[in-house]
Amino acid sequence: MTVTEQRQAEIVPRQPASAGREGWIRRAPLLPALIFTIIVTQLPFLFTIYYSLQSWNLVRPGSAQFVGLDNYVKVFTDSQFRGVALNTVVLTAGAVLISMVLGLAFALLLDRRFRGRGFVRTLLITPFLITPVAAALLWKTVLFDPTYGLINFVLSPFGAGQTDWISAFPLTSVMVALVWQWTPFMMLLTLAGLQSQPHDVLEAARVDGAGSFAIFREVTLPHLRRFIELGIVLGAIYLVNTFDAIYMMTQGGPGTASANLPFYIYQRAFLGFDIGQSAAMGVVVVIATILVSTFALRLIFRSFQTEEG
Amino acid sequence: MAAPTTERPASAGDTRELAPARRGNRAGPALLTVLTWIVGIGFFFPILWMVLTAFKKEADAYTSPPSLFFTPTLEQFETVFSSGIGPYLLNSLFATVMSTVFVLLLAVPAAYAVSLRPVKKTQDVLFFFISTKMLPVVAAIVPIYVVVNDIGMLDNIWTLVVLYTAMNLPIAVWMMRSFFQEVPKELLEAASMDGASLWRSMREVVLPVVSPGIAATSLICVIFAWNEFFFAVNLTAATAATVPVFLVGFITSEGLYFAKLCAAATMCALPVVVAGWIAQNKLVQGLSFGAVK
Amino acid sequence: MADVVFDQASRVYTAGAKPAVNRLDLEIAEGEFVVLVGPSGSGKSTALRMLAGLEEIDDGEIRIGGRNMVGVPSRDRDIAMVFQNYALYPNKTVGDNMAFPLKMRGVDKATQQEKVKAAADILGLTDYLDRKPKALSGGQRQRVAMGRAIVREPQVFLMDEPLSNLDAKMRVSTRTEIAAMQRRLGVTTVYVTHDQVEAMTMGDRVALLADGRLQQFDTPADLYDKPANAFVAGFIGSPAMNLFTLPVSAEGVRMGSSELRLPREVHSRIGGHERVTLGIRPEQWSVADGASGGGDGVSSGVKAQVDVVEELGSDAYLYAHLDDDAQTAVVVRTAGRSGARRGDQNVLTPTSDELHLFDADSGDRL
Repeated sequence: MTVTEQRQAEIVPRQPASAGREGWIRRAPLLPALIFTIIVTQLPFLFTIYYSLQSWNLVRPGSAQFVGLDNYVKVFTDSQFRGVALNTVVLTAGAVLISMVLGLAFALLLDRRFRGRGFVRTLLITPFLITPVAAALLWKTVLFDPTYGLINFVLSPFGAGQTDWISAFPLTSVMVALVWQWTPFMMLLTLAGLQSQPHDVLEAARVDGAGSFAIFREVTLPHLRRFIELGIVLGAIYLVNTFDAIYMMTQGGPGTASANLPFYIYQRAFLGFDIGQSAAMGVVVVIATILVSTFALRLIFRSFQTEEG
Repeated sequence: MAAPTTERPASAGDTRELAPARRGNRAGPALLTVLTWIVGIGFFFPILWMVLTAFKKEADAYTSPPSLFFTPTLEQFETVFSSGIGPYLLNSLFATVMSTVFVLLLAVPAAYAVSLRPVKKTQDVLFFFISTKMLPVVAAIVPIYVVVNDIGMLDNIWTLVVLYTAMNLPIAVWMMRSFFQEVPKELLEAASMDGASLWRSMREVVLPVVSPGIAATSLICVIFAWNEFFFAVNLTAATAATVPVFLVGFITSEGLYFAKLCAAATMCALPVVVAGWIAQNKLVQGLSFGAVK
Repeated sequence: MADVVFDQASRVYTAGAKPAVNRLDLEIAEGEFVVLVGPSGSGKSTALRMLAGLEEIDDGEIRIGGRNMVGVPSRDRDIAMVFQNYALYPNKTVGDNMAFPLKMRGVDKATQQEKVKAAADILGLTDYLDRKPKALSGGQRQRVAMGRAIVREPQVFLMDEPLSNLDAKMRVSTRTEIAAMQRRLGVTTVYVTHDQVEAMTMGDRVALLADGRLQQFDTPADLYDKPANAFVAGFIGSPAMNLFTLPVSAEGVRMGSSELRLPREVHSRIGGHERVTLGIRPEQWSVADGASGGGDGVSSGVKAQVDVVEELGSDAYLYAHLDDDAQTAVVVRTAGRSGARRGDQNVLTPTSDELHLFDADSGDRL
């Protein structure tokens, strides 16, 4: 048999996999989760937008009337709101970054073989497992308490154990509790990154004459980049919504010194009963979050692709 | 052989075992190990203290300076129990288990669709899922409250089940997707050639291979569901309240009795901590797979 | 057992792109062992997967036992496949792996056991039936994959580079085992490999593909002796055939500054072409010592200088370059241990009358 003859007609794919019935069969398993999520998370948000356009206060029945963008104006002129927004940024950014740095440090310590390694790892991940309210309670009473707390006890030999930490440094105290809880999460992520480094690249670097620090800087850190980014994004998502710690430790006080946006909105809605106003704040926060996170997520997905590409 | 040997003849009585040569600075690694242990214990210490305090008499807990030596007692735990933590534990258990089951039922097929049989736009759908997690829950709490109230589901444990499912679904889909991506395509092709329908190949081949992933995802869901406070405190009252709510209520009623509080906090946190310890490897696997992909 | 026909079968991924498989025509008889061979990207794996039902047939037909397989899913085709990475079910034992296809077809337990045992006996797996894949070596896993395929007694066996993950020695022994087994069972088999040695030793007939197109479909001997084009000539045979594109002269071809005379019938095949591609296999040279300055001009040999000598025991291969043109490489086979050394000057003369000539542009055989 010899070479086949060439015909002129072009060959066209029979049916693209994504079109028609086949495409929908493939999509079907996704639908229940998708529909459920849309109903439970998106619909309420639409309502929130609706409420935000009304001046509705539960304390004054029948006060619900359309006021357009009035609430939004009040939001932006509310000096407390601005302060609280700033708190949120400081709290979130601070907690994320510090816990990432600590997490990375712990991961580096754990990335070796030594006796009791599994046990130490167990110790280190436990704070992440503790119920946030319990953890906040723990910090508030057992550690930070001015008279009976451990921290003041430890500091007293140095003559500094008199501060009422929570009153004096409310936001910082909350941040400490958050960092304590989230460092294990960051640690596990970065540890996964450290342990997934290709051994042969590390060996090649050693042979090429790089010292430990240089290897860390040139080989390890670039490899860790996407783990770190993932940790920052996931951590930020959860931390921006912090509520439990503030509720338990400071109730947002003094005043709103340690309130973040979720707590402030909660106060307005459930304690102040001002539905319209709190709804408007909610919408503003959502829009801000969308803007920031779209940017951040594109960064993440792009870095995933470049790693593989 | 022409070349002269210069070796020492092996002595007949040489019975020493070979051992790896000791090289380098032995102090360095040992120091690092010590440091790591110190860090580990130090970081864990607050929890240790909390558990110890739970076993103290109130008088021992409320001392300055804090007392290290004491006679342990179970009376604080008794008090916690007699304040009726029972129903709260059951509620938490129910909400956690049911929501995790639902999450798996929804997330596994969804992740399967997104990873093993992707269609155009699956990336966008994934994106969408993650974005639902980012919207601050507070923004939706008011309408949720209103709706839940209107349909008479306030203070009903099923409300929490639904909300926890929605809360954990995005992370579950994300994690399961990365586990599904680990399944070699050839395995499915082989099953298909062997005559298995889609359903059967899922059941017999794919699910067993991703079962560690399912375990890891479940654990994460359990952790977040059990520890959830915001929805619980706002949407439940006497009947459906969960353990974190109990804890807060306990504080207000008991005031600042450290030992009792520590006992309550310990009981509150214990189930998830134990679960996390036992399934630790799965937890690590789950988190790291989420990252690796 | 059935015959397999590819009838203008084609596969293209996006409209307008180059087809991965371009109008493939193959007729494989019942019980025949056919090897699809070619370099990467030649479309051989794609063609196999089209036959398996794992790739869409975009144009043309593929018929098994006369039945058109377009639109028929894999599990209804009554074929079995051995994958390159074996694709064993990791959570099942060897026995369960092999029983799986029977289980899917609703065969009762007793018959399952019987057939699994029979297959295990043939493949020497009886002692491993209770192990899981991860407790097996590569060679054992490969046999389990084969076991899973033969248990079904399908109409066609498909094998996708099953030996490529084995070490060299295992490859040779397994190769003969597979060929022997196929002869014993007599099932139509389509086997894909990139290794032409496997193709030549195992196949009843071999189909060489390149760029999605069939180059030649013939017995191994015919592929070796009568390559249909320059590509086939260069692909089959190791070391590869020497191919020179040369201007035509009155009685032969010009190689460098000398004219290489060609036998009359060979020369007549050239016809009116001005340039031609000449193919000479390494074993078709005779080597004479060229240290003495021979006369140049018309002769029947060319001068070459040896660069590398590969001693293989019974044979040796000389890699040389032409004196006239250092860029042109020549490979010559000689007897082993002949004392050939780097730098030797030799005169090489083609020995046989069976020289290969190809059109310098199209590559087709003249």
